[in-house]
Amino acid sequence: MARFVLARLVQSLVALAILSVVVFVLARATGDPLHLILPMSASEEDYANARRYLGLDRPYVEQYASFVSRALTGDFGTSLRARRPVGELIAQRLPNSLRLAAFAMSVSLLLAFPLGVLAAVWKGTGIDRAAQVIAVLGQSLPTFWVAIVLIEVVAGRLQWLPAGGIGGFTSYVLPGFTLGWFVVAGMMRLLRSGMLEVLDSEYVKLARVKGVVESRVVWVHALKNALIPVVTFAGIYFSILVTTAIVVETVFAWPGLGRLAYEAISSRDFPVIQAVVLTTAAIVAVINLSVDCLYAFIDPRIRYVR
Amino acid sequence: MRLAIGIVAVLLAFALGASPAAAQGKSDLTVALSSFSTEVLDPVLGGHVVKYYMSLMFDYLVGVTPDGQLSRDTGLATRWEPSSDHRRWTFYLRKGVKFHNGDEVTSEDVKFSLQRAIGKRSTTGYAGPLRALFADIETPAPDRLVIVTKDPTLIIPTYLSRSLSTEGMILPKKYIEAVGDDAFAQKPVGSGPFRFVEQVTGSHIKLAAVDNHWRIGVPRFKTVTFKLVPEETTRIALLRRGEVDIADVSRERVKELEREAFPIHFRREEAILTMWWVLPRDGQPTKDKRVREALNLAVDRNEVAQSIFAGHADPAYVPLGLSWSYRDIGFKVSSEMQYPYDPARAKKLLADAGFASGFPLTVHAYQLPGLPEGKAFAEAIAGYWQKIGVQPKLVPVDYPAFRKSWFDRATPGAVGYYNVANRDWIGTYALLEKQAYSKSKVSDTVNDPEIDGMIEQVMRQTDKEKIGVLMRNVYTRLRSEHYGVPVVYLHSPYAAAKTLGKWNPGNVMYDFFIDELASSKR
Repeated sequence: MARFVLARLVQSLVALAILSVVVFVLARATGDPLHLILPMSASEEDYANARRYLGLDRPYVEQYASFVSRALTGDFGTSLRARRPVGELIAQRLPNSLRLAAFAMSVSLLLAFPLGVLAAVWKGTGIDRAAQVIAVLGQSLPTFWVAIVLIEVVAGRLQWLPAGGIGGFTSYVLPGFTLGWFVVAGMMRLLRSGMLEVLDSEYVKLARVKGVVESRVVWVHALKNALIPVVTFAGIYFSILVTTAIVVETVFAWPGLGRLAYEAISSRDFPVIQAVVLTTAAIVAVINLSVDCLYAFIDPRIRYVR
Repeated sequence: MRLAIGIVAVLLAFALGASPAAAQGKSDLTVALSSFSTEVLDPVLGGHVVKYYMSLMFDYLVGVTPDGQLSRDTGLATRWEPSSDHRRWTFYLRKGVKFHNGDEVTSEDVKFSLQRAIGKRSTTGYAGPLRALFADIETPAPDRLVIVTKDPTLIIPTYLSRSLSTEGMILPKKYIEAVGDDAFAQKPVGSGPFRFVEQVTGSHIKLAAVDNHWRIGVPRFKTVTFKLVPEETTRIALLRRGEVDIADVSRERVKELEREAFPIHFRREEAILTMWWVLPRDGQPTKDKRVREALNLAVDRNEVAQSIFAGHADPAYVPLGLSWSYRDIGFKVSSEMQYPYDPARAKKLLADAGFASGFPLTVHAYQLPGLPEGKAFAEAIAGYWQKIGVQPKLVPVDYPAFRKSWFDRATPGAVGYYNVANRDWIGTYALLEKQAYSKSKVSDTVNDPEIDGMIEQVMRQTDKEKIGVLMRNVYTRLRSEHYGVPVVYLHSPYAAAKTLGKWNPGNVMYDFFIDELASSKR
C-alpha cells in the first residue's frame, strides 16, 4: 500500500511539473495584462514602467525559473490585478469552494442514495421513472438557468433564501442545490445499476433465504457492495465541484476558486492563473489518491499490488 | 443509515459553524456593484481604479461638488492661488485633519502623496502630464504647500481634484514609509469619512464611519459595504430582499424595477459610446472625409438609443465630445452639427469618394464593463453600414485584444468602440491629449496637425477664456472632419432601496458620492 501511494505521488509530481510549463506558456499566449490594468490614457512610458515594476519585461525563461523556484517554497508571487500575494488569494477562496462543494455533495448524496436504491428495488415502477426524470432534469437543465430561476423565484420573489454572497447556512442552500442537483443524475444511475446487479447476486438471495429483514438486505448488505463506482464518481465530481464551479460562483456572488480563476483568466493575471491551475491539479491528484485508498476500506478484498 | 446521519451532520455543521449573515440595519449601507475594477486599495499603484469606495476612505487635496465644480468645502485645501506668472500654486490646508491612525495631515503628507502619484511606478494614467509639468513641491509650513511648475499653467487644481482620477488623494507618509506599499494596499489608511475595515477580494469591501468628519459631519451610516455581485439577477434579488440598498442595473431592467416602486437614480450621460478607426489612415477608405461623413450619416442614433439602450441614451454628434465639459468651455452642439439619419446621402458620399460598391470594413465586437449591450451595439452599427453598401466584417474579440490591435496599429482602418466616461474640461483635455494628439502615438485615433497645435497650447495657456476658445475649436474640428462615429450618450441607472431617500450620484468620473448620501450636513 505504501509503495502504491508513493508511486502515485511521484506520478502526480511529474504531472504537476509538466502542467506548470503548459500553463505558464498558455497563460502568456492570451495577451498582455497591461491592456486591462492600465487606463486608456496610459502612455508608452507608463506601459514600460508598469512592465518593469511587475517583472513582465524579463525573458520568459527567467520568469519561469523564478516562478518555479518560488512556487516550490509556496510563494506563487503577487497578483497583477489585485496586487496581493497569490497564496493569500487562494487561501481566502479555496475554503469557500471546499465548503460549497462539500455542501453540494451532501445534497447530491442525500438525493441520489434514496432515489438510486428505491429505483432499483422498485425497478420499472412509477418510483423508478420519477427518479429517472429527476435525474435527467438535473443533468439536462443548464446550471446557469437553474441558478437564475432559483434566485429570481426563491430568493427574489418568495424571499425564502438569500440570493447571493457567503454567509450563514441558508446562503449555501441555493448554490449547493444548483451544483448538487447536477451531480445527482450520474450518481443515482450508477447506484441504481449497481444495486440491480447486487440484488440479483447469490449472497443477497442467501441472505433473504436466511430470513434477514428486507430493509437490512437492501440498505446494508446490497448497498455497501454497490458503492465502489459511486465512490469513484463522487470523488471525481467533488474535485470538479471545487475547481470548476465558475458559473454557480459567479451567479451566486460566491467568492470561490472558480471565480478567482475566471477573474484571473479574463484579466490575464498570470501568477493567479498558474497558481489556481496547479492548486486544482493538486486537489484532483489528492482526491483521486484518497478514492483509491477508500476502495480498500469499502471492499477489503481489494489489495494493491505491484 | 450511518452514512445518512453523517451527511446530515455535515449539513448541520454548516448551520453551526458558518458565520451568521450580517444583519442589515438602517445604520448600514450596502452597495452591490457588477465590477470593482482592479480591487486594489492603493490609489496610485493599483492600475485602473474606480473611486466609489476610494473617495470615502481618502480626502482629495481639492474637493468638488457632486456636479464636478471645484469646492473649498470638500477638499483638504481650503483655498489655492497661483503666482502672477502661474508657475507657483500655493495651497492652504485645512487644520486639525487626522488620518484614521491618528496622525495629523500635513503638507509633508501632501508632498509625499503627489510625488508618489507622479512617480514612475504610478499607474494612474494621468500622472504623465503632471510629471512633465512639476518642477518642485515646497512645504513652507505644515498647512501650506507650493507646487512649482516648469511652465505657466491653469490645470493644477483641477488635476489634483476629485473631478479627475486619483492623483489628488492624500495618503499618510509616515504610515506608508513604516509598513511599505504592499501592506498599505492591504490595510489602507486615509483621512476620509470612512475607514477601512476589511476586504475579501471577489466578495466585498467594508468601511466603517469615523465619529465625526469635517466633510460630512456625523455620518448617517455606521458602515458602508461594497459587495461584488457580477450577475444582475442576483443584485436585483438582493435589492428585493432588502440585503442591499443600491445596485447598478441594466437599462433594460429599469421599467420592471420602476413598476415595483424602486427608485432609479440615473447618472445621465455617464459615458459617450463612440467608435473610431485604427490608425494609420493612409491607404484606407476612411482617409477620405466623405467616407467618414457617410459612415456617420448611415447610423440612426435615435433608433439605437431606443432599441438597444431601452430609451436610456441620447444621440451624440461630436467625436470624443464629453458633454460634462461643455459648460466649462462654453461649447454648444448646434443643429447643423447633429447628424441626420440619411442613408441616401451616405450612399452618394460613398459614390463620390469612389466607393459606390462599398468596401470591406472590420468591426471589432466585444463586451465592455458596464456595457452589456456592447456586442448588440456593434452588430447594429454594422447593419446600418451594410445598408449603404459597406461590407462590415464583425470580428468577435475581447476588449484587451482589440486594444492591443489598436495600440500596435495592427489593423489599420478597422473599427473599435468604447464607453468613454464623461468628465469635466480638464479630464476631457487629458483624454484628448491621449486620443486626439498625434504625439501620444500609442492611443491616438485622430492625427490632425491643426488639432495637435491647439492641444499643445491648452496645457500652457493661463487665460481661461482662451482655453475655452481652444477647446471649442478642437471639438468643432473633430466634428467637421468626422474623426470618429459618436453614437449615444449613455444614462447609467442605479436602483435604490425604497427607504434610501434622496441621493444625487453626481457628474464626476468613476464616482457617485456615497459620502453625500451619508452626510448629516445635507
